[in-house]
Amino acid sequence: MRVADLVAAFGEQPGLDRVSFDVAQGERFVVVGASGAGKTTLLRAVAGLAPVRGGRIDVAGRDVTALPPERRDVVYLHQTPLLFPHLSVFENVAFPLRVRRTRAAEVIKLAREALAAVRLEDLADRAPRTLSGGQRHRVALARAIVARPAVLLLDEPLSSLDPTLRDEVREAILALQRTYRPALVLVTHDFDEAGLIADRVAVLVDRKIVQTAPPWELFVRPATLAVARLLGVPNEVHGVVTAEGVFTSALGCIALDGSIPQGAALAVFRPDAVHTTDTGTAVRVAEVRHRAQRTTAVVALVGSQAGVPALEIPADAHAPPRVGDVVRIGLDGTRVSIFPREAP
Amino acid sequence: MIRWMAFAWAVAGIAAPLAILGAWSFSGTWFYPALLPRSWTFESWRALLSGGSLAHALLVSVAMATVTGVVGCVVAIPVGRLIARSTGWRRHVGVAAAFLPVATPPIALGAGLQYSFIVLGLAGSTVGVICAHLVPAVGYLSLYFFAVFTAFDTRVEEEARSLGAAPTQVWLRVTLPIIRRQLAAAIAFGFLLSWGQFALTLLIGGGVVHTLSLDVFAYLRAGQSRYAATAALLLIVPPMLVLAASRPGALRAEAP
Repeated sequence: MRVADLVAAFGEQPGLDRVSFDVAQGERFVVVGASGAGKTTLLRAVAGLAPVRGGRIDVAGRDVTALPPERRDVVYLHQTPLLFPHLSVFENVAFPLRVRRTRAAEVIKLAREALAAVRLEDLADRAPRTLSGGQRHRVALARAIVARPAVLLLDEPLSSLDPTLRDEVREAILALQRTYRPALVLVTHDFDEAGLIADRVAVLVDRKIVQTAPPWELFVRPATLAVARLLGVPNEVHGVVTAEGVFTSALGCIALDGSIPQGAALAVFRPDAVHTTDTGTAVRVAEVRHRAQRTTAVVALVGSQAGVPALEIPADAHAPPRVGDVVRIGLDGTRVSIFPREAP
Repeated sequence: MIRWMAFAWAVAGIAAPLAILGAWSFSGTWFYPALLPRSWTFESWRALLSGGSLAHALLVSVAMATVTGVVGCVVAIPVGRLIARSTGWRRHVGVAAAFLPVATPPIALGAGLQYSFIVLGLAGSTVGVICAHLVPAVGYLSLYFFAVFTAFDTRVEEEARSLGAAPTQVWLRVTLPIIRRQLAAAIAFGFLLSWGQFALTLLIGGGVVHTLSLDVFAYLRAGQSRYAATAALLLIVPPMLVLAASRPGALRAEAP
């Protein structure tokens, strides 16, 4: 699928501003953005459910921009599974085949295969209202995939689920995607989900895609300060880029490649860019943060240093520092992103 | 206590009038102050079964009410849906337009329609009376479907389109089956709106079109209480059936 210079509206509000990207068959492409960034508008425009004011959408080499939703070879799933309440699970999954007037024997074969792919073949005769939340999601996924669409669009499919269900539905999405290999476009506001699903992630900020990259690259090399902040990178240190192309701050110097102009700048980095070292800068522990997956410490430079707010650094969960401890830290310059101060 | 009050109300309000009508319809001679008829007869029921004017009126009433219910829904569904999908002043105007024929007294509505129906050649015909019945029925049913489609989750239709269904297929395979209970209730309501019409039938039918409600009135005026009671009993049957069949939450669509 290729989307070129797409302009779409959300009601009376401007929705998307010249958005372009392409997704290969079998690729998992995740669009991440804050609420109101235009994620749902993007999917609805591609699905033919929202008006397009400019640009072009190609699916499998065919311009579908002006085609109605049912002729796009694109399936769009809403955030909550919208099963047809008057049909059984089997008939829900068979629906896309029935409306295409597929032969009865083929309908039975394909619908059973799709139900087996989401491990729900035993519930074929059940009514949707009798299913659990996770089962409903899996039926909706099986129904979406049974007619083998070229593109599958998923609108925040995991956001309303508790962690256990989230794992179940994510696994179902990945399993179906691996089996049927549509181009998958999923939108979410959760970077962790994006990292677990995506081959590539696009970041939508203020109605525009500002960065497209594999998850690991996006997480360690945000292209703009806005992306870094959206990622929730906790550490920002003010400094200056000298005429020699060196960023200097209270945490030391970092040699740059010349891409950042001379003047005020901002260093942005994740906690894992910081390590403790006997020769580093002295900081005092102000708070220890325990999370399920990691432990960090919030530290402040010993003595008053302008431009250095509290930093979040890694901590050993088994032997965490105590509030008031003084530790010495160093910064790995290769793990730091530096942006001109004026940059958005 | 409340149960006893409800029971007393049911006896006084429903059972007693029905019992009196039943007694009248089978009464041979029944004069004041006798509590019960002195003799009994099946005359009016035999007349009904033998296909007399009462039977004819029954058939005409059933046919007209059925057509009004079905055609009323056919017209009211798109109108109600359109109002439900509109916003702002369009929605207000739509609701007001649908409410107007409901709020207007039938006698005033009939007087207003009479001239135009005479010009159109519809006055004095069954088709004309059905058209007149449709005016308040469509207004009422449009308001009903306005409520139905306001509560309807249109995302389920979007999903069906995205899954490959053309608009007609969405309508036939998704929307109609989901609202089938409300549709059945609406047809019944449309039926009852026509079934009980008196003023519009009299004004537009011009005495040529005979329905059960007109016959009740005519029999009463002629002093034929037995026939009036029989026609009145027949008049009560459909509303009782609809009441018995109606379920709570008829407006609530099935959740997707």
